[in-house]
Amino acid sequence: MPLGLNVHVGARMVRSAAFRLAVIQALMFALMALTLFLVSWFAARHYIENQLRQTIIDEFGEVIAHPPAQRAASIQRSLAQVPRGAYDYSLFDARRTLVVGDIREEPAVGWSTIEQHEGLRSGKDAVRRILVYGAAQDDGSTLVVGRDLASVDELDALLKRVFTWAGLAAVVLALAGGMVTARGYLRRVEAIAAAASRIAAGDLAARVSITGRGDEFDRLAVSLNSMLERIQTLVEGLRQVSNDIAHDLRTPLTHMRQRLEAAMDEATSLEGYSNACERALADVDSVLDTFAAMLRIAKVESRQQREGFTDIDLSQLLARLVDDYGPVLEDEERVLSAEIQPSVNVRGDALLLTQMFVNLLENALHHTPIGTPVTLKLVAAEQGCQVVMQDAGPGIPAQERTRVLKRFVRLDASRSTRGSGLGLALVAAVADLHDIVLTLGDAGPGLRVQLDFPHRQDA
Amino acid sequence: MRILLVEDDIDTRTYVSSGLRAKGHAVDESGDGQDGLLRACEHDYDVIVLDRMLPALDGMSVLKKLRSCGTQARVLMLTALGDVDARIDGMEAGADDYLGKPFALSELIARLNAISRRSAHANTMTLLRLGDLELDLIMQRVFRAGKQIHLQPREWDLLKYFALHAGEIITRSMLLEHVWGFQSSPHTNLVDTHVCRLRGKIERDFGPRIIRTVRGEGYTLSLKQGH
Repeated sequence: MPLGLNVHVGARMVRSAAFRLAVIQALMFALMALTLFLVSWFAARHYIENQLRQTIIDEFGEVIAHPPAQRAASIQRSLAQVPRGAYDYSLFDARRTLVVGDIREEPAVGWSTIEQHEGLRSGKDAVRRILVYGAAQDDGSTLVVGRDLASVDELDALLKRVFTWAGLAAVVLALAGGMVTARGYLRRVEAIAAAASRIAAGDLAARVSITGRGDEFDRLAVSLNSMLERIQTLVEGLRQVSNDIAHDLRTPLTHMRQRLEAAMDEATSLEGYSNACERALADVDSVLDTFAAMLRIAKVESRQQREGFTDIDLSQLLARLVDDYGPVLEDEERVLSAEIQPSVNVRGDALLLTQMFVNLLENALHHTPIGTPVTLKLVAAEQGCQVVMQDAGPGIPAQERTRVLKRFVRLDASRSTRGSGLGLALVAAVADLHDIVLTLGDAGPGLRVQLDFPHRQDA
Repeated sequence: MRILLVEDDIDTRTYVSSGLRAKGHAVDESGDGQDGLLRACEHDYDVIVLDRMLPALDGMSVLKKLRSCGTQARVLMLTALGDVDARIDGMEAGADDYLGKPFALSELIARLNAISRRSAHANTMTLLRLGDLELDLIMQRVFRAGKQIHLQPREWDLLKYFALHAGEIITRSMLLEHVWGFQSSPHTNLVDTHVCRLRGKIERDFGPRIIRTVRGEGYTLSLKQGH
């Protein structure tokens, strides 16, 4: 099994992008080594050959410094030296016959490279490569001076060997480095993939581990984790809402069931049945109201910001609302007073903004005792504008002010009053859509609702 | 009146059509958009009740095709619960009114009456006279028995709506939608408060009441005595 696993990991590594990169890198190294070799080879060879030619020319000069008649003898002497000198000499007469020397065939005039069989030299049939320089002399003879190319060939071979090994080493190192990098990358990527599959399998709390090195993988892990955090919050929110709905609907549905049951058991007259039906209808309507409010909030929350927004005269919108609700509050023995700065414009959805203010006004109406004054104020500020609505009712305790903006939250004091506990949730959703900062505060006594509209960028 | 009901849910369709027939209307039924469109083009209906979500062809497409082929029939759209944008979309596509499901049958009947009798020349009228009540639609002035009554802008809108639909039952949600432009009904008695104030102004100093409350349904403006 471990072998199988290794093969598996190996196959995955070979397929990995990092490994592919390593192979390409190794090829690049090989190419670089080859180029380096060619350049050095040419340079070294050129240099040595030049040196060789120079020494040949020098030796040639020495030989022709002798008078023509003594050259053959001088060559004879040089060749007879023990140990033998580095040079080869030959003198050919005008009829191209070898007079003296060890270069047996007369080469072309000038520089050339010849190959000459040396018989059985040190037991082997050797071929010598000789660089020769030949020049015709005034007496018709041709003098040839040469030097063995063995040293140059040896250098050649050495260079080739060195560069072959160096190139191979570079390729192997590059491949090994690539493997190491690939394995490291693969491990990090597999860690992310593993976290993703755990999430896919339902474990929403799974996170990608962070090494703390602060590299690109850590940064990726951090952004993935924050995304997962958000998804988890949303999913849990959704779960919470479903629970809330189920819980909130159970009460009216249970009541309705009990009433209908009681009517079947006890009602004896048409009037009794009709009353039971009427109450059941009222219960159904309250459930439907809750549903509609939920759907409205969901719709507002799912809307793209600024989608379908228009320019709205907020002053006019509020003034109309005060005209509409002033009498309603008056009938319920509360006093609505307003202070509205004229011609304040905002961008938004007029229907939703109206709904938001209606909900706030109704809140003030339903959760305050008779005779409570309610004030509404609109002022334009340097950055955006501000609406403040205040009542002198019981207010909301400081620790509850965030909670009441959530769905279905009702304070104990208001359990007996009508309402679904969704009014302020819709206010919060509309405010959020409009980038309005909603602050619930203390009016001392009473509730102070402050709405800070954003500054209009396009204005 | 002659009504075409296009609705795919059989229970709703049967309930609504029998309710409408009981009120003396001739009702044709259709279960999908394609068939509904065909019938609407073949026959001359006064009102078409069109569900928004239909098989074969959705309600909005049916409405657009109807309007482009020049049908004179009034159209009332039915939409799903809580679909607040539907009203705007539907009105833009040429619907005369809109009603969210679930609805009370009385609400549907009231609205059908309202749109079928909406006179074609309502927009060009300058003066509306109902008994001793007189509305100057241009100057937005109201007279009763020759005496001018001063109304708030909202009260004027309210009275004008009542006057244009005199004799019909007008529900609270119709008033909320058409006079206030609200989508959802507030929990307060906004409508009752304003109707009450309007009554105070147009009825108190003048003999008979003209706006009557219809229990469980809404209001009606009626000039007949003895009701």
